[in-house]
Amino acid sequence: MDRRKPFIDSTVSNTGSNIKGLQLFIADLRSSQQSEDQHKRIQSEIVKIKQHFNASTGKSSSNGRILGTDKLDGYQRKKYIAKLAYIYITSNTTMLNDIIFGLNEVVELIKSNVFSEKFMGYMTLEVLYRHPIVVNKINDKVIAQLIQDIGSTSDDFTELGLNFVGVASGLTKQLSSNPDLVSEVFQILRSPTSSLYLKKKSTLAFLSLLKTNNSILSEDIQRRRLWIQRILSLLDDTDNYRLTLTTLPLVEYIAKNIDPSYFTRLIPQLSEILYKCVVVSNSGLRNNDFPEEYRFANMPNPWLITKIVSLLHSLIISPSEIERNNGLFDSGLIHTDNIDSESLGKLRMCVMEAINLGTRRTADPMEKVVQNTILFSLINFASKLDPSHEAIVNSATALCNLLTSNDINVRYLALDALIRLCSFSGKTAYDSIRGKNLDLIFHILNSEKDSSIIRKVVDLLYTLTDSDNVKIVIDQLLHYLTTSKHLTDPHIKSDIAVKIAILTEKFSVDPSWYVIVSLKILSLAVMSAKDEEIWRRLCQIVVNNPQLHEITCTNLVEHLRGNNISEYVVKASAFLLGEYAESVQNVISISELFNLFAEKYFMVPNSTKAMILSTMIKLYKFDPNIGSMVIRFFQLELNSLDIELQTRSYEYLKLIQISKMTENSHLLDALLQPMPPFNTKSNPLLNRLGSLSTGSTSSSALVPSRSRSSSTFFEKPMPDNTDINNTTVMTSQDSESHEAPRPPPARKTRSSSLLIDTLAKSSTVDDKYLQLKLTGNWKEGFTRMIQFRQGVLHQSPLLRILYRISILDATRLEVSLTYINQTEWEISSLTSELVASHTDNNPEYIVQSSQVVDSSRIAAHQRVQEKFEVTIRKPFSIVEAPIINVCYTCGGSVNTLNLKLGVGMTSTLASNGLVSLAQFVTRWKTLSDALGKEGEYQANNVFLSALTGENMGEHMSKLTTTVKRMGFDVVEQANLPQTLFLAGIIHTRSDGNFGCLLKLTCLESGKVNFTCKTTTGGSLAQNIVECIQFALVK
Amino acid sequence: MGIRFILCFNKQGVVRLVRWFATDDSSTEPQEEISQIYRLISSRDHKHQCNFFELSETTKLVYKRYAGLYFVMGIDITDEEPIYLSHIHLFVEVLDAFFGNVCELDIVFNFYKAYMVMDEMFLGGEIQEVSKDVLLERLSTTDRLE
Repeated sequence: MDRRKPFIDSTVSNTGSNIKGLQLFIADLRSSQQSEDQHKRIQSEIVKIKQHFNASTGKSSSNGRILGTDKLDGYQRKKYIAKLAYIYITSNTTMLNDIIFGLNEVVELIKSNVFSEKFMGYMTLEVLYRHPIVVNKINDKVIAQLIQDIGSTSDDFTELGLNFVGVASGLTKQLSSNPDLVSEVFQILRSPTSSLYLKKKSTLAFLSLLKTNNSILSEDIQRRRLWIQRILSLLDDTDNYRLTLTTLPLVEYIAKNIDPSYFTRLIPQLSEILYKCVVVSNSGLRNNDFPEEYRFANMPNPWLITKIVSLLHSLIISPSEIERNNGLFDSGLIHTDNIDSESLGKLRMCVMEAINLGTRRTADPMEKVVQNTILFSLINFASKLDPSHEAIVNSATALCNLLTSNDINVRYLALDALIRLCSFSGKTAYDSIRGKNLDLIFHILNSEKDSSIIRKVVDLLYTLTDSDNVKIVIDQLLHYLTTSKHLTDPHIKSDIAVKIAILTEKFSVDPSWYVIVSLKILSLAVMSAKDEEIWRRLCQIVVNNPQLHEITCTNLVEHLRGNNISEYVVKASAFLLGEYAESVQNVISISELFNLFAEKYFMVPNSTKAMILSTMIKLYKFDPNIGSMVIRFFQLELNSLDIELQTRSYEYLKLIQISKMTENSHLLDALLQPMPPFNTKSNPLLNRLGSLSTGSTSSSALVPSRSRSSSTFFEKPMPDNTDINNTTVMTSQDSESHEAPRPPPARKTRSSSLLIDTLAKSSTVDDKYLQLKLTGNWKEGFTRMIQFRQGVLHQSPLLRILYRISILDATRLEVSLTYINQTEWEISSLTSELVASHTDNNPEYIVQSSQVVDSSRIAAHQRVQEKFEVTIRKPFSIVEAPIINVCYTCGGSVNTLNLKLGVGMTSTLASNGLVSLAQFVTRWKTLSDALGKEGEYQANNVFLSALTGENMGEHMSKLTTTVKRMGFDVVEQANLPQTLFLAGIIHTRSDGNFGCLLKLTCLESGKVNFTCKTTTGGSLAQNIVECIQFALVK
Repeated sequence: MGIRFILCFNKQGVVRLVRWFATDDSSTEPQEEISQIYRLISSRDHKHQCNFFELSETTKLVYKRYAGLYFVMGIDITDEEPIYLSHIHLFVEVLDAFFGNVCELDIVFNFYKAYMVMDEMFLGGEIQEVSKDVLLERLSTTDRLE
């Protein structure tokens, strides 16, 4: 772009939307060279505009003259507002107050019925809404107009309204808290008559609303389900993926911040799109139906890829993440193991293809950018796909190779990816990186000139350090801190210092090394005021570890004797030598020590001076012979200008006087007792790792996750109730700086709070399960499924679902469902999800998808199939049987089915061969003797609506066929024609197998008495009876 | 998640386009933020330093210079940077096609039209459309509206 290109030459499309007055004004401004002239020109223009605006509202202008009677017309208003907007923008927003008078006219402008005027109004407001003062002044009027525009019959006005919402609702909560506006926007999103263009705008406008107000979806559960379903149906757009592109971020936001459970079912669909986009569209195959326009720079569409990968990232939880969270995780997420093998295969292919693409040579810089985008996006995602040891090593090696790339962006991204890899894949990753590449990383540290890269290198080194390599890493970092010429960013210096301090404390195995390094950091003087914590932490650790007293104090004396000592070392010395001066008596006498401090006293700021005064009185306690020097010093400081120093000197002077008068040091001893151990186990410096912990995609920080460093040799149990302030004479300022640092606040990550929820409700039925509203005629299929191995689960004019149960082993069933389109139209966006009643760590049963629906579309009269497995682990009530939630769209209508599956205790019932009456009676008696009433369940006078026969005989035969179908052995006997004796064995995976015996007596009334005995206590007997009851209910 | 702001300024630090999509409650005044970003980016070496910078605990910068203009996106700290270079490049390509060999002056004199392009491409901190043909067709329609 050439700045000197003359205005006349600029080829602007010459249409009605040009504003001549504006362009003249801008040209005028540009022609005045002096900023003073420009300023004058702007001020005179502002005055002129003010006069016009005042005239139009009928107010008299400053000189009392009414400027014309003509009303301001739309074009003029647009022109003036455009000028004000230009002034505001090019003044780098500083001239807000000069142009804010025009706000009401801007509101007038958005009320205009001319598109270009309305546009200018909204555009100006979009820029100004960053300022709360603007929002507060006009928001009510703007919202009223917005609602009108979004609901307008003109698509162009709707578009402008939605655009404004999409920009401004991120800047103030006042838009998203207006329910009318929210529903107006959602109306566009869901309406089948909205154009694709408006739908795109509305998804992003809605996302913007949601970002400032989660409660739009989080509060009302019914609405959440309904609205999320509408949003999901937008993903059907597979013709050109335009709508998909704008819907994905919305879905990701909801999954991350509100509820992921609605979306895990999308994984097959998302994997398919990704596969088509990355692999198929790039293969040059004939049947590639992926829209060509969606390639960018000769590469697959990077936007679609990154959006899908990012969503998958937030839906899938990998085994190593679960391990890090101690096995607990948000039940809404999907575990890598639970992804169906087909999708997993596709995703892995995508990763491989991305790596292939990444190695393709190209001269086009943009193509390279896109190449890297796709490569790093998928490499960072690969760790979620449960990679093998070998795969992790390969990724690490490949990424390390990229560290030597010529492209600086690639080096940055490779470092970033390595940090992510370490945080996801743990030991394997950092072992393979450390093994060969540590020197390379050190080389980068010393040769790069870019602070962005240095930051990443330091983060990576921090991640890779453990007790084996801590010395070499810290040597390198210290060397870098002291010698680097490129290091100009003070934040990085302090960041490195903090990280060194943490690493030395964490991995040190050699106390003297720890002390030396710590003092080295303190004496570097690279730290900002925030870094006070480093010396405080050192003091805490020394106080708590008596074996460090002498070595630290000796080192401190060395430092004190040197020149150019940093303030932090003086502080640490003042504190520690005041406490443990005796430990260095063979190196230095107390009076010498006093002299050293007296010398430093005049080189340090007041807060440190105050500390030194306290040190002096402590030194006096150790050796009263220095009394006269101390007194003289305090007397001198009585004249200090600083009130704090004056007070201390006075108080300490008095103390010395008292102890001289009483000729004992009781008072001094009482006041200056030895420092008790600190009660802080956690390192407050960890709080400072902000960027490192949030920088990685994982929600948990790197540090707490690494179990290698559970405790250092320094840490030991410490007594409670040690308040340091009680025991020393310290006035306000000093005591504040000595206060034991508070432990870091618990990191409030999403996962951890959900964790607590999960724990709390572990014994109850999942909320999600309870919230599902079963479809009207669910019982038909449910009842059928309890009795029959195959049949119709659901039937409607649109869709028919058939089921078939096959027994895989004694406790495992495979259920296959066939969906048949009953209509002449296509059914689309068919998704299904199995919802179990319990998803805690020890559930009664587990449902797992083994084959997802072949396609989310069913052509007219065609069918698709899916399969899943149910493992019965423990006895459970059939009332809590799994529910399948099916969503599909047909002819514009969105349909949801919630069907409870007839899977219960009798699903794993097996007969034990024929049982004679005598055997039955013996067993019955044995059970009664052994367990008594335990393991028995009785239900009398139970009405079973399916027993519709006229007489007892029909009742009995219906009852008999049903229980036989369910798999019970019916004891053959003729003595009691109204009674059935049943036997069977129930299989469960975790709790084992149980025998059961039942006695069913049919009464004259058609009701039935049940008695069930099982070989175990608990609810099993009742659970079995319930199965029979439900099988016989219409 | 997503773009927090889009900034476009020239080498002298004069703002040409500014768009906020999100703000922190405690964030500094916009002019301070903008001049901080200008100082930072204009001081960076364009051959030996990368196009990314961690600005704060919430925001990373992805930027690129085209002739005399810097295009900067402030993105969420958790986002992956490289795709935003494509965002910027596509934006510049569309500006170029829309204005016809765009230069800074086009954006100076027709800043509201540049905003029109931005509106078609970015909304709610996300990219809205990536097909250049679709964008240009839509833009020429909008541009012709009264």
